[in-house]
Amino acid sequence: MPQMIACFKWVVDEAYIRVGASGDLDMNAVDYKISDYDKNALEEAARIREQAGGSVTAVTVGVPEATKGVKDALSRGAEKAFFIQDPSFRDLDPSQTARILAAVIQSRIPYDLILCGEGSSDLYARQVGPQLAELLGIPCLSFVQKLTVEGDRVVAERRTDEGQEVCTAPMPVLVTVLPDINTPRIPSVRDTLMASKKEVVPVRKEDLPDISSPFLETVSMKGTSLKRSGTRFTEDPGDVKAFVDTLLQKGVLK
Amino acid sequence: MAGIWILGENRELTGELLTAGGELAAATGEKISVLLWKDRSGAEAYFALGADEILVLPELPEDVPPEALIPVITGEAKTSHPGLILLPATVRGREMAARVAAGLGTGLCSDAVAVRWNGERKTFEMERLAYGGMAVQKVVFRTAPAMATIPPRTFAPAQAKEGRTGTVRELPGPPPSPVTVVERKKRERTARDLREARIIVCAGRGIEKQEDLRIARELAEALGGEIACTRPLSEEYHWLPEDLCIGLSGISVKPELYIGLGVSGQVQHITGIRDAKVIAAVNKDENAPIFQTADLGIVGDLYGVVPNLIQEIRKAGGQ
Amino acid sequence: MDFKLTEEQELIRKNMREFTEKHVDPIAVEIDETSRHPEELFKKLAEGGWMGIPVPVEYGGSGSDYLTHIVAVDELARSCASTGFTVSIHVGIACMLVLLFGTEDQKKKFLVPMARGEKLGAFVLTEPGAGTDVMAATSTAVKDGNDYVLNGTKTFTSNGPTGDVYFVFAWTDKAAGRKGMSTFIIPRGTPGMEVGTHFKKMGLRSSQTSEMVFRNCRIPKENLLGKEGAGLLMAMTGFDHGRTGIAAQSTGILQAALDESIRYSKERVQFGQPISRQQAIAWMIADMATDLQAARFLTYHAAWMKDQGKPFSKEASMAKLFTSEAAMRHTIKAVQIHGGYGYVKGAKVERLLRDAKITEIYEGTSEAQRMVISGNVLR
Repeated sequence: MPQMIACFKWVVDEAYIRVGASGDLDMNAVDYKISDYDKNALEEAARIREQAGGSVTAVTVGVPEATKGVKDALSRGAEKAFFIQDPSFRDLDPSQTARILAAVIQSRIPYDLILCGEGSSDLYARQVGPQLAELLGIPCLSFVQKLTVEGDRVVAERRTDEGQEVCTAPMPVLVTVLPDINTPRIPSVRDTLMASKKEVVPVRKEDLPDISSPFLETVSMKGTSLKRSGTRFTEDPGDVKAFVDTLLQKGVLK
Repeated sequence: MAGIWILGENRELTGELLTAGGELAAATGEKISVLLWKDRSGAEAYFALGADEILVLPELPEDVPPEALIPVITGEAKTSHPGLILLPATVRGREMAARVAAGLGTGLCSDAVAVRWNGERKTFEMERLAYGGMAVQKVVFRTAPAMATIPPRTFAPAQAKEGRTGTVRELPGPPPSPVTVVERKKRERTARDLREARIIVCAGRGIEKQEDLRIARELAEALGGEIACTRPLSEEYHWLPEDLCIGLSGISVKPELYIGLGVSGQVQHITGIRDAKVIAAVNKDENAPIFQTADLGIVGDLYGVVPNLIQEIRKAGGQ
Repeated sequence: MDFKLTEEQELIRKNMREFTEKHVDPIAVEIDETSRHPEELFKKLAEGGWMGIPVPVEYGGSGSDYLTHIVAVDELARSCASTGFTVSIHVGIACMLVLLFGTEDQKKKFLVPMARGEKLGAFVLTEPGAGTDVMAATSTAVKDGNDYVLNGTKTFTSNGPTGDVYFVFAWTDKAAGRKGMSTFIIPRGTPGMEVGTHFKKMGLRSSQTSEMVFRNCRIPKENLLGKEGAGLLMAMTGFDHGRTGIAAQSTGILQAALDESIRYSKERVQFGQPISRQQAIAWMIADMATDLQAARFLTYHAAWMKDQGKPFSKEASMAKLFTSEAAMRHTIKAVQIHGGYGYVKGAKVERLLRDAKITEIYEGTSEAQRMVISGNVLR
């Protein structure tokens, strides 16, 4: 019956970002979402609870406006949420997030298993999970495609560069999951409505040790330009020939 | 600052990191240490490639994962105070980097695509991609050592210079690890490494069934190239192995010619081909995003177009 | 005035969007082309609680409000107008009629399985000779011991071929005029009720529409909904809810038309630039976006009135009239913007145009809506 924590981040949905003419990012029309792989983490926790019992607490670090994200997480199987919030938590570097999570988890949330997404869809630095494990002094199993709880241990199938590796470790342990591990549910109407009735514990910056400065400072964030010349051809045989001729001209055919 | 460290996961990756390290060593006047992890034979080759010192990490039993070495690395870093630590952006490299960074209380730039020393501000500046490849994030460090993971093939392998030597030192053994490796399965490697391919034909969701991959293979053959795929074809349908998947969570390629067949062109895939010399696409949807990032695009049904294409290529004296 | 949806409503809308991308978009073209009712899709809608949003939990629903249901229909119709419509009648008319007028027994027997999506409801009022002129109906229900015996022919019954629970309107006392019609709940399989001609339609083709024929159909008196003679009043209440649903459906169609037009006009290059830079096209899109904004607010406001417990016939009628005419107007423009590509099968706007037309006709034609609104305003 493991006590589980699922960490999630409320991020800008990159599908709505527009790149301006000067290369600046236009965030005016953006919507937000729970980072994709974090949904897998929440889903995995819910799945394990169904099989092995236990509990699921969702934890997030973000700005006070992220209340919708907390509700979203609670509609995905978590029973309770810790909402660590401050306006200054908008653009934290991974080390700050990890330190904040470690401070709150250590002092306030008992756990056997912590689940994180492999990386967040905005920065995709893939650091918070392993850093959190290191700060808590617990083992970390990353890039997990399949997870089982066996008594007081977990068995994880990890994707490595060479192939696959099956590991086991005693709890408490932290696991970062790949999207292959499961398919996150689409919450039912009832799931969403019940989310507002669940407990949300707010944690303010004042309640935390001082974690003011980032280790890594972002100097700029500019849109990349992937646009190219874009000559179009139709599917007519004449055009296909012209296409091949162009390839020849560009010297890419031998 | 006291040195630039490079984690040597294998000969190839270490060679690339030594190029990066070499540039920075020249700029900062620092020495380079290679932490030798696997592949202990021929350590001397690293001296020729630019290392001044080799630190040998302890050998691990079969059932102990490489992450067990993290306390050794962190411990040594706390004594030696390197100014910069570079690791490869591989599965292992990333986890080890993050945990060492946490252990040292320092910043880590993941998947750095550019690394620079700013002599005036006395700091390292790095660049990485964000928002699914849509943006470039520029960062500087407020702490030491600076750490970065660097994706394979970002740098060319270092050139050997004969006559260079250095020192070798063994690092202490690791504390016991709570994690046990139960089994290892090697992935069947496809014959060619996609990252070396000059021409790539990439299959996307426009390919309707697995048997139709033959169309992509035939085109690849006619061009003398390799086939690859977008993420859904390997990770969802399992039509092709993972190491043929191009994109943010797959591999990045720099071919002379990339042709996408039925590839829509999501930004997470395009990120993997942005350095291709010529990007071409065949897609029946003229609104597909790939036409924005392609040099040449054929708007049409690939099932009808590709046979014609193959004919024309053969006529033009292809294969 | 708070113009925001609640966070729950925003999340529900988002989840419906994800649902349509995953389960509806992949089959929308096929079910339109083959006129198929996708059983498997409605099963998934049922599992997600989408078939009974405003029904209380104790009756098998999700226990939310009508506006939340309307938001869901809006989003669903954007992907497939047929599916959005089927859910709308099922919830807005069938479920609501039992919820508002049924006995406890009727609620247990009929509302619970409908709200759970296990059974599909159908609204059976229109006849070959009685469309806008409801009073010209000829179906009768004659009392006979503990039963009523129904005779008559109904037409244009949506969910006719696929329904499980039919709400049928017939004269119990023709002489009583407006107080002479009654409503009966008739389960599928009741002897004497048959599905008649199955219609092939211009649009909304996945929605199944047919005649219903009643020949000495015997119904126990327990299946009389509400009081004898209250039929027309119940039909009007049904229309208030149903029309708000149609308004949501039309809004979804409009949204889809706008999305497609924006996308296409930015990609289509003629005379060296995207056609979105041509003022003629840009202005069409401006009008589309403006009417969509108006449509959505009219629709949501009508639903809001209902949730506030206020009478909302006028608002429902206005929303239905405006949004359906806007949907028709702008789907024509959307096809125009697409040019030849908008006229071929497979283009979404081609289907949108065919689907939009019926919204000006059913649940009260635009002319009937104008009668209701003027009657209300000129009192």
